[in-house]
Amino acid sequence: MKEYVLDEPLTEGFLKFLKLFGTVRFLLQLRKPYFSFEKELFISIKGFVGDSNVEVRYKKEFQDLVADYFYLLLYYYGEGERGISTLKEYEDSIREKMKIRLDPLPGNGT
Amino acid sequence: MQPALQNGKSQLIYLNNAATTWPKPTGVLREVAQCLRQPLYEPGRTTGNGSTDYPSAARQALADFFHAGPPEHFVFTQNATDSLNLLIHGFAKKTGMPFHAITTDLEHNSVLRPLTTLEQDGTIRLSVVPFTGTRVNLAAIKKAICEDTRLVVMTHGSNVLGSVQDIRPIAEYLHANDIFFIVDGAQTAGHIPVDLSDIPVGAFVFTGHKALFGIPGIGGFFISEPDAVAITRQGGTGTDSRTLTHPFEMPMRFEAGTHNYPGIASLYAGIQFITSTGLDAIGKKNTDLTRSFIRELKDIQGITIYNENPDLPVVSFDVDGIDNHDAGFILARAYNVITRTGLHCAPLVHERIDGGKGCIRASFSYFNTRDECRAAAEAVCEVAESADKEVSSD
Repeated sequence: MKEYVLDEPLTEGFLKFLKLFGTVRFLLQLRKPYFSFEKELFISIKGFVGDSNVEVRYKKEFQDLVADYFYLLLYYYGEGERGISTLKEYEDSIREKMKIRLDPLPGNGT
Repeated sequence: MQPALQNGKSQLIYLNNAATTWPKPTGVLREVAQCLRQPLYEPGRTTGNGSTDYPSAARQALADFFHAGPPEHFVFTQNATDSLNLLIHGFAKKTGMPFHAITTDLEHNSVLRPLTTLEQDGTIRLSVVPFTGTRVNLAAIKKAICEDTRLVVMTHGSNVLGSVQDIRPIAEYLHANDIFFIVDGAQTAGHIPVDLSDIPVGAFVFTGHKALFGIPGIGGFFISEPDAVAITRQGGTGTDSRTLTHPFEMPMRFEAGTHNYPGIASLYAGIQFITSTGLDAIGKKNTDLTRSFIRELKDIQGITIYNENPDLPVVSFDVDGIDNHDAGFILARAYNVITRTGLHCAPLVHERIDGGKGCIRASFSYFNTRDECRAAAEAVCEVAESADKEVSSD
């Protein structure tokens, strides 16, 4: 688990962007509106809308593969459509590695 | 004494006292500071005098507090986990042959992991006795006993359900049948009277940083039969230094190296605080806070309480529809209410009560107030109400 203090709060646009990559949940009736992002096998992010502190948890089985994923989300958010497709391609390559780790084939060296 | 303000904002409501009590009594903080202000003193380890011999003073305080002795049979360790490791592995080594051991599914990993390690290396066969309601009774233990049962390790108080186990009949039966009984008193020591003159345990384990109000890093155990446990740590004791084997005398038999003097000083002062305040007064306040918190929550839709009648100031609950880690995060960050979420290092209890997903635990101490209790309950209710209005993206 890591806690990040960002330069500025995550924007509404970024939270919408997250929806393209996983499940975003909001609890908007709280004293501070809460959001969480869950991407199975990758990471989860928790925070409050308008707050610059976020907690990021990595799935321990694949921590080495997904350690940069939060940074990539932040980076490719600014890249528009091209960013979305690049990140999806990157995700696919990570999933391939996960698949091998979860179900190693004989002779593949794992 | 009140907790300090957090970043100048509203007060922290600390409800994680079953893990570590906070704040500590001012007398504890003063004693730790005093201990560090003067050269450390213990006969045999220094020629100085005029300072407090904290190890001896604390051993005497423990002997008085738990009505057991001699004081030298109280051994200092880092915490309850350290004590349990030393006792469980030491007992297995001393036994010297495979045997059968019993524990319960109320246990903390400080019991389960050392026993499982011994089971995996073939040293013991292990039976895990299930709890009924919130307790394990003598009948269940008796049922699990085999011809070669040599050891029973069980908790005195569940850190999830807050239930105190009736250890006296179990201790009497095991003592009569020559089965070594280790009691994990991490959750009860400092909360309820423990009279070891009346309960024939093989060993009773405690930690300093919970209800005894010490600082983290100090714990210990009382052992009635030191010969039952092998020495597994060797080193300097300040005595008999010409001999290259570790001494058998108590308490150095189980204590090697320089003591944690500030920790021992804090334990000494913590016991003094409890004694001067009164265990009854502390227990009554904790019970009032716990019952009040449960009363505020129990009829609220969307809140599940797993232990409506705890003996200890521990309330385990869930907010329906919200992952317990998320709920804990929200309570901490939006309401300044500190709880503990997840499995509380007691995975088998959670398997039974919530399918192993874990829950939220609020645990109180003498320093919590009714206002804090009410504010925390209101925060939990607010989170539960908002859960109805969750917005999901998929």
